[in-house]
Amino acid sequence: MGLVPSKWVLMLLVCWLCKNVNSSSVAQKIYVVVKNTVPCVRLLNATHQIGCQSSISGDTGVIHVLESEADLEWPLSKGPNPPYMVLLESSLFTRSIMMKIKNASSRVAGVAVVIPTMSPPEFSPHTTCPNENTGVYSDSYGPDYAHCNTTVWNPRGNGLSYEEFDFPVFSLKEDNETETIKQCYVDHNLVENGTTPQYPLCALQLFSHMSAVTDTATCMRRNDVINFSINPEMVCDPLGDFNVWGTIRPYNKSELGHRDNDSVVIAAARLDSRAFFWDVATGAEGSVSGFITLLAAAQALRDVTRESPPTHNILYAFFQGEAFDYIGSSRMVYDMEKGKFVIDLNNVHSLIEVGQVGLRNGSELFLHTDPVSRMNDSINDQVKKLVTNLQSSNAGMNVSLVEPGVSQPLPPSSLQRFLLAQNIPGVVLGDHRSAFNNKYYGSYYDNAANLNLHYPDNLTTEEQLEFVTETAMALSDVATVVARALYKQAGGNESQVNNINADPKTVTQMLFGFLVHANNSWFQARIPPDMKLEASPPNFYVGIASPLLAHAKTLTKIVQYLLANLTGTATNLTQDQCKKPDDLPDESEQMHSYFWIRGTFPTNGTANNTLCVRASVRMSQALSPAFDLREFASKTYSTWTESRWKFIEARMFLVASRDLEMLTLGVGVAVLFTSLLVTYFISIKADVLFSSVREPASAAY
Amino acid sequence: MNLERLPNNEKLGLCRKYYLGGFAFLPFLWLVNVVWFFKEAFLKPAYTEQLQIKTYVKQSGLGLLLWVAVLTTWITIFQHFRAEWGVVADYLSFTIPLGIP
Repeated sequence: MGLVPSKWVLMLLVCWLCKNVNSSSVAQKIYVVVKNTVPCVRLLNATHQIGCQSSISGDTGVIHVLESEADLEWPLSKGPNPPYMVLLESSLFTRSIMMKIKNASSRVAGVAVVIPTMSPPEFSPHTTCPNENTGVYSDSYGPDYAHCNTTVWNPRGNGLSYEEFDFPVFSLKEDNETETIKQCYVDHNLVENGTTPQYPLCALQLFSHMSAVTDTATCMRRNDVINFSINPEMVCDPLGDFNVWGTIRPYNKSELGHRDNDSVVIAAARLDSRAFFWDVATGAEGSVSGFITLLAAAQALRDVTRESPPTHNILYAFFQGEAFDYIGSSRMVYDMEKGKFVIDLNNVHSLIEVGQVGLRNGSELFLHTDPVSRMNDSINDQVKKLVTNLQSSNAGMNVSLVEPGVSQPLPPSSLQRFLLAQNIPGVVLGDHRSAFNNKYYGSYYDNAANLNLHYPDNLTTEEQLEFVTETAMALSDVATVVARALYKQAGGNESQVNNINADPKTVTQMLFGFLVHANNSWFQARIPPDMKLEASPPNFYVGIASPLLAHAKTLTKIVQYLLANLTGTATNLTQDQCKKPDDLPDESEQMHSYFWIRGTFPTNGTANNTLCVRASVRMSQALSPAFDLREFASKTYSTWTESRWKFIEARMFLVASRDLEMLTLGVGVAVLFTSLLVTYFISIKADVLFSSVREPASAAY
Repeated sequence: MNLERLPNNEKLGLCRKYYLGGFAFLPFLWLVNVVWFFKEAFLKPAYTEQLQIKTYVKQSGLGLLLWVAVLTTWITIFQHFRAEWGVVADYLSFTIPLGIP
């Protein structure tokens, strides 16, 4: 009985000791994991693979902070301790340096780029001729205009995003972690007065092994090859998301295909953008300026289209995936051709596309049209009418609408995919006469600063949200012009036109939400109560396609809810009725979409303002037709896929010289053999060494 | 199993079983046959069944060499040309390495 209490005491003692004992693994003492990094990943299309690849167990290299292009000699030829990990400032992240590193990739294990908060003077990793192979211009249609022979749209493009690197490239932010790395370099790796640095040296190891190779056809085939494997490995996924579209007069969603006697004016804009590194696209001038203008125009048209409806319907279309060979617009055109959309191409009256409109020089806004389709007289007349409608819509606005004046093709735009299928009169609005004004097209630096979005100091987030910036005023002028022109083009009542005005407040709130701070009260009031927004602006990279609407990108969902809010009506349905509106006699889910939204920014103690909004706004899948048709080597449709990977990490540690490693290994092996030998000899002489009193032999077995 | 304890006719029976079994696309049985019965066939003093055991071991050895040659050739060719053969190679492969062509 005395034993039991002492056992308990012992256990309690052990538990108490365990609580007070800390452990730290050896790995934590060696490796410093770099947390805020973004890798560059591998993307594949019908013919190529682009992006970066590391080896499966990571690439280790001795850190070398590059000071200038001439300093590249050290990692590429002079340095005694290859392979090197080159650390670049963003000013040195240029095509010539990256190409030199690519050609000498046996001595360079990888590249880390430090992304500053201040943008460089110009940087565009996109190609000079975006989407040149999937546009409308080819050898059979306007051969002089194909491949940017007439106008180079993105002359600053260095094409880095479309190169293939067989070493990893990671991006680092300008923060404490990067300072630690640079400090480690200064302490251990710095070359002083010509002396070579001695081991141990500071090294960086980057893991970003990509599973897919060669091209989309190969990786999609390997996805499907089941053979005898128990769990087949998926190696890549197609890019895609959802398009958002809405109409002023609702369509029954189960009536697909051609509609007799229906003519629709399409107003299009693009949603997405891309950058060199994965998943960090910001697209301020490239996409945000365009779709915000269109959203504001949709709001401006709401009341007038209800009071005096125009003759034709207006369809607002926001396309996702346009940066990758027009995924969204090619899918919508394909659906229209196959009769899987609520209208078809013969119902399309004309198309106005709002391109990059945020960086106007003065008051000029350019109207780009397609010269090849205008060789047809009837189309030419319709285009002229469209241009006149646009030019006469700027009463009281600081916008002068000008045609480029030279015979020039369309810039990269969704209209090109419509023209590929059918000759439609269309105009693309842009702030550039020929080459883009955007100095950071397709880059991480295309952010709020690129649109000159500046807020006065000392404003709270809420005050910044409400502050009407100059950029917002300029964009709202463009939105007014677009709205008026759409109304006229759709055959609306001329006397009502000058009452159509976009609201600069809405525009500035949208600019704030999409480019500065997404988690603001204006956005929060217009999204469902259970949807969470991050503080940082939404990501504009199109990402991997998913068949489920619930998995659409945050950006697409926000645009859908905003369009619903700006063009729809509030109803007094309850939450259950909002989910199942078909039970009510006047409501139908076939004709409208019903969204249950928060109504106000949630604060403690205020009344619950959640409400049900009814709007004719829908999402349609934006997945390239090449994947439905299984033509993975298609030359006409986008075939972009993103590779899968297992593990992405960057870590820093001190690395020892090869000689020391070999010595340690040698000593270990020697100890092993010595111990084997000693054990052998001891066991041979066991009876001599361990003599013991012999027990009387008793038969055992 | 200790061959020392077996009577000679049982040894012969065992050797024959392994020899015949190897024809069912089982070259490892022939390898076992050669390694296990080598001492019996060539290093022990002669006994009646030893001649037959010797034949079996020799023929197992030949069969084994043939298999090794065929497999080595096929493996070398496949590993070298797998990337170039594209579709066919993917359908022949059991596991396809990730990240390399």
